Amino acid sequence: MIQIQNLIKAYNKEIVLNIPELTINQGEIFGLVGNNGAGKTTLFNLILDLITASKGEIISKGIPVRESEDWKDFTGAYIDETFLIGYLTAEEYFGFIAGLRKLNKAETNAFLEKFTDFFNGEITGKKKFIRDFSKGNQKKVGIVAALMGKPEIVVLDEPFANLDPSSQYKLRKLIKDFAAENGTTFLISDHTLDNIADVSTRLIILEKGKIVRDVPKTETTLQEIEAFFKPVVEAEVF
Amino acid sequence: MQMNPILFKLAWRETVRSAYWGKSLATNIGLGFLALYFSASFLLLGFAIPEILTKDFPDADPVSKFNSILLAYFGIDLIIRQLMQKLPTVSFKPLLLQNIRRRKIANYLMIRSVFNFFNLLPFFLLLPVTFTLVSNAHSGLATAAWFLAIFILIFSNHFLAIYLKWRFNEAEYGFFIFLAALAGLFAINHFGIVDLSGGLGKLLDLILVNPALAVVFLLLPVLFYFLNVRFLLSRMFVNLVSGKQKAEQVRDYSWLDKLGETGRFIALELRLIWRNKRPRSVAMMTLIMLAYGLLIYRTEPGKPAPEFIFILGGIVIVGMFSISYGQFFPAWHSNYFSMLMCQRLKMKQFLQSFYMLVTVVSVACYFLTLPYAFMHSKIIYTHLAMLFYNLGINIPLLLFIGLYSKKRLDLNQSSVMNYQGMGASQWLVGFPMFLIPIGLFYLFKLVFGDIGAYASLGVLGLTGILFHSVVIDFFAKKYLKQKHQLIKNYKNS
Repeated sequence: MIQIQNLIKAYNKEIVLNIPELTINQGEIFGLVGNNGAGKTTLFNLILDLITASKGEIISKGIPVRESEDWKDFTGAYIDETFLIGYLTAEEYFGFIAGLRKLNKAETNAFLEKFTDFFNGEITGKKKFIRDFSKGNQKKVGIVAALMGKPEIVVLDEPFANLDPSSQYKLRKLIKDFAAENGTTFLISDHTLDNIADVSTRLIILEKGKIVRDVPKTETTLQEIEAFFKPVVEAEVF
Repeated sequence: MQMNPILFKLAWRETVRSAYWGKSLATNIGLGFLALYFSASFLLLGFAIPEILTKDFPDADPVSKFNSILLAYFGIDLIIRQLMQKLPTVSFKPLLLQNIRRRKIANYLMIRSVFNFFNLLPFFLLLPVTFTLVSNAHSGLATAAWFLAIFILIFSNHFLAIYLKWRFNEAEYGFFIFLAALAGLFAINHFGIVDLSGGLGKLLDLILVNPALAVVFLLLPVLFYFLNVRFLLSRMFVNLVSGKQKAEQVRDYSWLDKLGETGRFIALELRLIWRNKRPRSVAMMTLIMLAYGLLIYRTEPGKPAPEFIFILGGIVIVGMFSISYGQFFPAWHSNYFSMLMCQRLKMKQFLQSFYMLVTVVSVACYFLTLPYAFMHSKIIYTHLAMLFYNLGINIPLLLFIGLYSKKRLDLNQSSVMNYQGMGASQWLVGFPMFLIPIGLFYLFKLVFGDIGAYASLGVLGLTGILFHSVVIDFFAKKYLKQKHQLIKNYKNS
């Protein structure tokens, strides 16, 4: 469970994120949508204590993230390619993360086994450093590493971007299955509406740093978000 | 050759808008001083050369003597250029789709490369020599032709250097083949098998007699220029920019995992050093510096070496790795620093593994430098004292400086003359590292004498080593507090 209270992030007095109150419940697949600059990545960086808030606090499972590092024990994350170590092979990178998450070799192999289909034979068993991977394959490495050690909270910033269409479908299923199996809370952002609408159990629209919609997922969710973004799109085009 | 002003405008913006412009004033001032120093030295040397030549070789014609040593200059120039001269670059990827011919981009790069300090520097020497030495003995036309010939040679060396550097950039071992080849040529020349430098000298003498011959020299730069252009044209494709697609040599460091948490980080650091150009060249420098003692410990009979030499030697030779690797800690990990900060990792382990690595390498360097005891037997204990001092005092100092590290490091560039990731703090690092112990030494010497002073430095270092876990705990807290600032710095640079 993540509680956010009176959270404000401002750069030079320009407020980029302002969330008076938000609670993300255990086991929710929390989908965050918004246009560029809406504050999605800022929110995730704040939750991961990578940047400091101007005001307010974030409490992850009872632990204020600014004050203690204990939230790291149950949190996995992939924000962007700066989360990868470019000069390692995928196996070495998984091994490194596994070590930090206290998985032994057998557990690591068993864990990676489950992603054979998702990897599509392009990730493991290659004598290739991550820096030479394509963007999509880099993303796959990052996402799977974020899931290592069965974290209770997983933060993924735009996990669907750069993935090929079939990988996008595989990832949808993967997230849903992982959450159903382990009761994991997922925090996911994306631009693509149907991916996020498909996986999420709750949807939030951020607009200029503010929450403008907060809806549980229903049959009509997709139409609702589409209705929200469409006029904006048309106004930009014409 | 019609040049495209758009390309120059682009290059200008690239420089002015790069993250370092203005920010690293200290680096620019440092480089400016260096340039001034070398220009002044060359100018003074240029004016002194006629006198030196007539004094040292009273029988020879000074002009042809000067001509006959020029080849050695060009040889050294070529090495220095390899180490220090920057390659002209342009981010050509966005240009490839535009209506600009590839050849035009290549020509532009070559022309831009000419505007370089290393092409200006020799003239500080050449001009005084031309006017005080050559023009006195020869006609205006002959002098002009001679000057032109050397002018052409300077630029041939420039284009050759750039061509080689591009080649070595792709295959690092090339540089060592190049050094070996130069050494071979030097040997051939030195032992009189073929008198190469005399050959060039004779050729230049001939030009003074027969000025029209200077035109022949033009062939050289033209040849090297086209080699460069051909190379660039063959490389100007996107797939060659984004990295080679060959299978990498993957070395196994998994045995280090057995050392537990710290071992895992040391394995990471070893991979970092081995697989990235820039840290690899730091390791290379450490090896090269091991030989530095041959230079500074050499004494003339009857004259003992001053004590500060031993302090300097101890720090630089034994501690080269710790200082050159440590001065960029933690920026070596800047590319994925935010990921590390999200992991279940204790800052303490992170710092400890760095400390361990540096300790192991420094101790190894100590044993490797023991043969210097044949030159001065006291090196056995002076190096030991400085080893302790380095580990006990200098490493904590570097950890402290690392707290304020500002720039992200681009791991794939080599480090010699590479100022990417150089901040003002790094320029200030080197001096206290050996100035403080030298100062302390003379202070202790007043009280305890020579050996006592070394012992005191050693004890000081040993104290630091004994308390290293306290020191690391202290810095672990500091680094945790500083982490947001570091993440921000690395993101913005």
